Amino acid sequence: MNGKPIVRIRCLPRGLVALAGVLSLIPIAGPRSASADPVSELASFSIFDKVDLAQLAKSEVKTAHGPPMRNSRFLAVQSCYVAPGSPAQQMEALRRWNPTKYRELKVFLHSDLSSNPGPANFEKLKNAPDNASVRSFVTATQKLSPELQISKEEAKRFSAATGAGGGGVIPPAVVAFWTDVLTARTKSFVSGGMAAEPPYDHAGPSVRASDEVNGLLRDQGKIRQQFSGLLGATAIGRGGGSLPAELYWELLDVDDHGVVTLGASYSRGGAGGTYQSADVLYYASGGYYVALTLHQLWPVTVEGKPSTLVWRGDMISSAELGSLHGVERLGSESVMMKNITKAVTAFRRNTSGGR
Amino acid sequence: MIMSVVRSLFLILAALIFFVRTALSQESNGFWPLTGEFSAEVTYVGEGDVERGGKHVNDFDEIYSNIQFVLTPRMKLGVLRLGAEWERFSFGLPKGAALPNTLQSFSTIIGIDTQLSDSILIRAQIQPGLYNSGLGHLFWDDFNMPFVIGGTYIFSPNLQLILGLSIDVERNYPVIPAAGVRWKIGPQWLLDAVLPTPRLQYEMTRNVSLYAGATITEATFRTDDAFGDSHGIPRLNHAVVTYSEIRTGVGFDWKISPIVTFTGEVGYQPYRDFDFYRAEVRYHQNGGAPYGTISLHGAF
Repeated sequence: MNGKPIVRIRCLPRGLVALAGVLSLIPIAGPRSASADPVSELASFSIFDKVDLAQLAKSEVKTAHGPPMRNSRFLAVQSCYVAPGSPAQQMEALRRWNPTKYRELKVFLHSDLSSNPGPANFEKLKNAPDNASVRSFVTATQKLSPELQISKEEAKRFSAATGAGGGGVIPPAVVAFWTDVLTARTKSFVSGGMAAEPPYDHAGPSVRASDEVNGLLRDQGKIRQQFSGLLGATAIGRGGGSLPAELYWELLDVDDHGVVTLGASYSRGGAGGTYQSADVLYYASGGYYVALTLHQLWPVTVEGKPSTLVWRGDMISSAELGSLHGVERLGSESVMMKNITKAVTAFRRNTSGGR
Repeated sequence: MIMSVVRSLFLILAALIFFVRTALSQESNGFWPLTGEFSAEVTYVGEGDVERGGKHVNDFDEIYSNIQFVLTPRMKLGVLRLGAEWERFSFGLPKGAALPNTLQSFSTIIGIDTQLSDSILIRAQIQPGLYNSGLGHLFWDDFNMPFVIGGTYIFSPNLQLILGLSIDVERNYPVIPAAGVRWKIGPQWLLDAVLPTPRLQYEMTRNVSLYAGATITEATFRTDDAFGDSHGIPRLNHAVVTYSEIRTGVGFDWKISPIVTFTGEVGYQPYRDFDFYRAEVRYHQNGGAPYGTISLHGAF
């Protein structure tokens, strides 16, 4: 018997890290009965079955592993906290929050998109910072790396673009390629929801982001039920929904590699001042297949002051997660929880002075 | 010795077949209900020498074999570790050498990995089993139960610090502390300075990594009840021997499938020690030797 390795942890799929800060959350209205006691309602669908509001208000964000899921690519973390002000104010702050201001979140570029985007919407790509992540993104694109998450059709379009040259951190040919891919994928999302998105099948088995997000929700029945009204009105995991989406794209770091991602945010207010929101990263050029963040906000009173009880559920599907087992997976979950705490703490500090 | 090689290779081949089939099952089902990890290794060390007070044991080789299988079911408290390990050192000793030609153990593995906080993970593991020099004469006191407890502090996704204790009441020093660091230096470079296999690793491609590092082994066994009589040192009958060796080398990891990795390594063994510390008989290295290792390992 040797002295055994104590604990080995792989550096995690940084999609998780990115996820923690990247998701620009947007107000959405919750359909649940406002007459329900917020703490009881929280206990009914979340991992937090016992929450002391007064104590939570005095503490940092509380995070916990989500329920175990059948697919090894999936991971979920839940968190809750109390923030000062009303849910409407919190939602507005979430809408305004810009993750690029927080260096530790490693979101290099963020830009909102219209429902009919054109090349001009992605011009910021030309201004990407010069760092190892972005250079890695460029190299992967130029080599059409098998790790790139694109469709076979999209890969063919790159061949036509390689002829162009030029300077800059991201060469014009690479900018042109991604502008084309991101524009087309945004239009597909707007017209047909996630179900209309091309698969990731450039260099491996076909993976569809809509299947992944549906799998994530299927494995968390109580959450799916809690958010069924909102999700049913969105394009998340399905065809186009009735709720308008706030669209955006980002260039961020995932495990030391640059990744471009497309996101959509939905929000809806419910009775009694409650809100629900859903933010999905429905496309990523690498690192993770799909990421979804749900928020439920309830108005509460703590020490006589109007406050908001916030529940947040982060879930992600990633090929790299599927390769983690045992303590490595445990470590990944720990880092994801840590980074969600970091992101929420940054948000709270920015919006309310924190606690 | 040849039989040992054949047996070891057969065991590795059998392990390969089993795990490849497991991999295929997993892919075809899309979901595999069991999680676990496995390894099967064989190392050949060329002819080396040891010495004890002017008495030399020269030109003996070694075959090291190890097979480990651990199930890692997830539960609310953390990840359980339930499995078994067979480990064997087989030495091609010259006649009359007062050293055991086989040291081996059959042990079970019972442990848990759990999360103390967002930043701290803990592993506690015992390995109760038989640790002896063969299966000819089994005694109750061949039983031993080494214990390992350690913690990892997750400073960041790229940096983790590790502290641990190895406890073995039969060892000369029953409690040995250890510290390590795992640092992702860059996108392709990883310093994995964690016992027993500290390494500096370079990820050449997605499926192939090169590394330079060491393997540090220390294990305690009991000789059989007539070992001392048959080797002219009666106090070595049923004696405790701590065997230690250090191998340093370079190698590669080739990820054959998502759950199976093949490793090849070559290098030099600069340190070896047989310590019958209770009987005050100790053979230490007098001449190193080259070695080669192949192994299959992975997790599912």
